[in-house]
Amino acid sequence: MEARVVNKGQLPELLDKLAKDYDLIAPVQEETVVLFRKISGGKDAFLEYTNSDVSPKGCFLPQNEKTFNYTYTGDSIEINKPEGAQKAVLFGARPCDIKAITTLDPVFEGEKFGDEYYSSKRENTVIIGLSCSKVLSTCFCYAFEGGPCDGTGSDLLFTEIGDKYYVEVNTEKGKALADAYSQIFSSQGADQLAKDKEELAKKLAGEFVRKVDLTGVKELLDNNFELAFWSGDEQKKCIGCGTCTYVCPTCHCFDIFDYPTGDFDGARLRCWDSCMYPEYTLMAGGHNPRPSRKERVRNRFMHKLKYHLDRYNMVGCVGCGRCVRKCPVNIDITKIINDLKEVAQNA
Amino acid sequence: MLKRLLEYVGFEPGRFQARWISGSEGAKFTSTIKDLTEKIKSLGPNKKMRDDIL
Amino acid sequence: MMDVIQQLREQAKKLLEEKKVDLVIGFGQGTELARTTPVFIDSPEGVSKLTWGPFCANNLAKYLTDYKNAPGNIAVVVKGCDSRSVIRLLDDNQISRDKVVVIGVPCPGQLEWQKVAAEVKPGAVLKETADNGESFSVKTDAGDYSFNKKDYMLHRCLVCENPNPVVADITIGKELPVKTYEERFAEVSELEQMNTEDKNAYWDKQFSRCLRCYACRNVCSVCTCQICVFDQMLPMWVSKRTNLSENTMFHITRAFHVAGRCVDCGECDRVCPMDIPLRKLNQKIHKDLGDLFDSPTPGSKPGIPSALGEFSPGDPEEFM
Repeated sequence: MEARVVNKGQLPELLDKLAKDYDLIAPVQEETVVLFRKISGGKDAFLEYTNSDVSPKGCFLPQNEKTFNYTYTGDSIEINKPEGAQKAVLFGARPCDIKAITTLDPVFEGEKFGDEYYSSKRENTVIIGLSCSKVLSTCFCYAFEGGPCDGTGSDLLFTEIGDKYYVEVNTEKGKALADAYSQIFSSQGADQLAKDKEELAKKLAGEFVRKVDLTGVKELLDNNFELAFWSGDEQKKCIGCGTCTYVCPTCHCFDIFDYPTGDFDGARLRCWDSCMYPEYTLMAGGHNPRPSRKERVRNRFMHKLKYHLDRYNMVGCVGCGRCVRKCPVNIDITKIINDLKEVAQNA
Repeated sequence: MLKRLLEYVGFEPGRFQARWISGSEGAKFTSTIKDLTEKIKSLGPNKKMRDDIL
Repeated sequence: MMDVIQQLREQAKKLLEEKKVDLVIGFGQGTELARTTPVFIDSPEGVSKLTWGPFCANNLAKYLTDYKNAPGNIAVVVKGCDSRSVIRLLDDNQISRDKVVVIGVPCPGQLEWQKVAAEVKPGAVLKETADNGESFSVKTDAGDYSFNKKDYMLHRCLVCENPNPVVADITIGKELPVKTYEERFAEVSELEQMNTEDKNAYWDKQFSRCLRCYACRNVCSVCTCQICVFDQMLPMWVSKRTNLSENTMFHITRAFHVAGRCVDCGECDRVCPMDIPLRKLNQKIHKDLGDLFDSPTPGSKPGIPSALGEFSPGDPEEFM
């Protein structure tokens, strides 16, 4: 695997250059919140964060996506699709979030049906990850085969070591970018930093405080759709807001609707939706297969821990911990996993 | 209450007005609408909460 | 705070053993040191889950509407602000008085868990908390910490109107002195005095972050509509788009829909994942209610009808 070195001091310059040549999306700080936004220069990027409040999945699955405009012309309809995606660089996403993007790929780039809106963004975006330098008490990426310095899914992975970044070149796309800015991506000194990176990864791996043990959980869920557990406290305290789904980097539910702007024209939109809302599964005839909180809470965790794995052979959760931090009533997937493990053991 | 809330959020004072006019107060209705029209014309196009869809 | 916890558990146990209630809704230790989570206890053995301290920010009165048609009675642990919600719900006939046993706990304030977590060693286990007047002491298995109220409490607690529950069948803990604040609406006044352009810029900045997750709406104890206007597709009052126009529409509409019933518990502000200062919106309405209708904070006195739900000849009539 190839590697490069970038001096920390040169990062703003690199970002400035990238912002000129691409749509550069990076973490920014707005008051107390860290989000991903398109920036115009290195000075706008905010990299001293543990993890952002909303994940960067919006780069590929935007919260609001116009799929086309329509106009009635006489007795036919004219459809105008928006232009394809621009060349973009997503800079500064954490390994958990990048791994999450790879879990979205099989959903939107399936064998039979592909989502051109997602694909065109995916193809045209170079993902430059940034390894973590700190582990929060709410982090648990290790439980889902991830890690604070894991390069899965990133084209380039920056790891901060002293006054330099050790850059792993993971794909051809990444290599092409590194070569294009070779005056900033140096090839010297990479081997030495590789060892430092290993040390850092080991050190961070020891900092996790959340103990998550998935043993027996999948089997339990495979064999039991009905469990007394789901009628317990978790669904009682859930208030059915959509916070967990909206901050989650692997959630991808959406709603498609037409928005008329006049009698004869409008747009079709694809916007984020949440399975925690009762209306999500409400059908035209009035039937709702998930009529109460119990069904919806069960569905959420079954999806994260079982359905996604069954369907795509990939984990449905990446352990970023946002849902744990943001849930108003402290519903915690790690507690649910550990409780389910106990249920499995006692069965 | 609503008027105050809207102004608090950034609508220009005078852009939103509430009036109680009964069906038989035709003259009051006319003059109110005239005043309101002049007022909002002088304020110019509303920039707040414009839909950005298309 | 330990003796409050002790008494809380004893009282809850008694209520369940004597079958006065079928369910006790209270605070239990959460999965982070500085958090609690709502617990639903339906057997006397379960009362050991109950806890109390400066990490009990949730308004549990919210859950009363879930149980209004349940067969038995419900006991709910409430702080002062939460008890205003109870009054409001009772006055709105959302639940009948004889169904609810209110366990009131005078509250010296609640801490912002994220600020506390940033100072405490990750993974530490909570042992004990105590109120020391100007600060809280938090004892853990990884050391003892002190958090001064001014810097670590939730903003809403800094101007707390009702440290003692306004209604309670059982009160646990010492009554606390009630403070009055000259500057209760300081933040609102500050915004009011800005010119239109600045106000616009301020709120546009806040609302542009809104995800429309509806956490604010769902956590609100007086948002009780069975079918919310924002969930309707036909007619589509707001779509699922999160642009500035629709976000602003949502927030103004919701603030106005709860006007006169909002009890200023501050939960909406606390739960917002994007840190939008929602209380500044609802507080503006409280200020106006006071100025225009001489109305106290809804729920702070039982039996007072909602200012916007009643007409009296002396009401201001600027619209005439």
